[in-house]
Amino acid sequence: MRAFLVPKQDVITWIQRLGVERTVYFPQRVGRESYRFLPVKPDSTIEFHGYRPTLAPPGKKLSPSTDTLFFFRNRDSEHPELQPVLDGAERVLAGVRPCDLKGIELMDRVNREGHPDPHHLTRRAHTTLIGCDCLAPCDERCFCDAVGSLAWRANADLFIIPLAEELLLEVRSEAGEALLHGCAFPPCPDPDALKARIEASRARPFGRQWPTDATRVPELLADGGTARIWEKHVAACFSCGSCNLVCPTCYCFDLHDTLELPDFQSGQRIRTADGCMLPTFAQVAGGHDFRPTPAARQKHRVKRKFEYLNDRFDTTSFCTGCGRCGRQCTAGIDIFAIVCDLIDHAEAS
Amino acid sequence: MNTALDPTLYLPQLARILKITPMTAREKFFQLELQRPLNHRPGQFVMLSRLGVGEAPISITCGPRADNLLEMVIRDAGSLTHALHALQPGQTLGVRGPFGSGFDLESMTGHPLVLIVGGLGLVPMRSLIQAVLARLDQFPSLTIISGCRTPAEELFREEMRALERLGEIHGKIRVIRLVDRTDHLPWDGRVGLVTAPVAEVTLDPARTLVALCGPPVMYKFALLELKSRSIPDDHIFVDLERRMKCGVGKCGHCQINQLTCCQAGPVFRYDRIAQLPEALL
Repeated sequence: MRAFLVPKQDVITWIQRLGVERTVYFPQRVGRESYRFLPVKPDSTIEFHGYRPTLAPPGKKLSPSTDTLFFFRNRDSEHPELQPVLDGAERVLAGVRPCDLKGIELMDRVNREGHPDPHHLTRRAHTTLIGCDCLAPCDERCFCDAVGSLAWRANADLFIIPLAEELLLEVRSEAGEALLHGCAFPPCPDPDALKARIEASRARPFGRQWPTDATRVPELLADGGTARIWEKHVAACFSCGSCNLVCPTCYCFDLHDTLELPDFQSGQRIRTADGCMLPTFAQVAGGHDFRPTPAARQKHRVKRKFEYLNDRFDTTSFCTGCGRCGRQCTAGIDIFAIVCDLIDHAEAS
Repeated sequence: MNTALDPTLYLPQLARILKITPMTAREKFFQLELQRPLNHRPGQFVMLSRLGVGEAPISITCGPRADNLLEMVIRDAGSLTHALHALQPGQTLGVRGPFGSGFDLESMTGHPLVLIVGGLGLVPMRSLIQAVLARLDQFPSLTIISGCRTPAEELFREEMRALERLGEIHGKIRVIRLVDRTDHLPWDGRVGLVTAPVAEVTLDPARTLVALCGPPVMYKFALLELKSRSIPDDHIFVDLERRMKCGVGKCGHCQINQLTCCQAGPVFRYDRIAQLPEALL
């Protein structure tokens, strides 16, 4: 694996130049303290230190919250025309932190399973990932280490470890190598020794940790907790679905159609993000609702992140520990605190 | 680009409406002509759409067939189904599928069958009834207990009556039709809950297979009744309703704990979901 030790400014210039040639998304500050993955322009501010998690995860660039599946025309004729939409534009997601790399990998697994989703997977096949390490927790809500995300590198094409004035840049795939075409970065003489020193200096404990051995969490959650725990945490919930909207591994959706003026004969079928915390999510045609209370919906969401999907998608946790749901929750509900209560309950009983 | 990807996952095949027949005040029977045979199993469903209005999961009500015909019963229950009720023969609909597990007819062969059906549950169950009738020689018996609220809500009345009469001369078939109340309308069946006749039906715990389809509350009482008759859970099949949005295991709407109803169901062997919270109620 090739590695380079590059002055920070040279990497910034390289990413800005990449952004001229193709669409490169990098976390950029919007307003006072909100960050978003926005296209890089020649004058974009590229920061590697002091990272604050973006509002939406970068995976939304692969499965956007609103996504056209196909266009149709002449819908009332005998032979309506249908035109599927696949987005094969080349793009780079840069500055993707380990938690979000894992989120993207889990969404790839979801979309590859069974009936492969052509919309997500086409975008993915044309996307290069530049990961970026976190040497300190981004804030007090992060718990990426507790769910095994901090060390995630597997799907990064390039991976950056941001030191003080230089960046260690690792090449992890041919697609990553291709992005460095024409760059004359100085090789890192002994990347393994440097990485060992970085690892030794990493903050420990890194972010919030479970009050038990992390490998036992799915098994401890399987007993389902008590109504008291679910009701305690959901008491302030507005069922607004913000947690679903910002989660890197929430992928539920709804399909609906739009029609265009003037004759309502053409339009599109679109997929829009949906959320299991929204009140009618599990309602069926006759009006019966299989999860009628906020507590039932929260239990479903929490167990989906920590229990239901683990085996199906070969992971020890479907939650990436990014902390976005807690950061964005209008009522301050924190999934980490819920799971800690469930762990305490299971260990006590 | 990954050429192995099928870009048509969400693209429906277009189907022409051949026939629309009103069945009750709320339900209409639809017969569609597809571009290619569906090759479905009984108990499967399709995602049916009207371009510009939307898409919804709809049970297939006809048994497996080699031709291009597809039959459904659609209740006017929401914006899409309301729009479907306003259509005329000759108009075009979109069909994706078939989806779901359905009933495994091969594994049911050779067993006495008892079907307990409530209300709209007859719609998917008719696909199983037709499939069994097509190879009745392979089944020792077929008992159908079918209930609805009032005579005005009975679906496939003539077909069920014909089957009832056939049962009178054909020892293998027995049909019991019920309504909760007659509502002062003429009625030639029984009055009572659909679970009541279970007590009088011959059930062999070692051999009989029971399939249930109806409103959530029906399962609760029917399962109690079957338990009291010592029918093991792995001899019971339940057909569950969920509001699938994709049919391909992605949208999350039909998830029951670890299971995705549109893939693992909607027909489940009861022992596989008996312990799952939220599965039945």
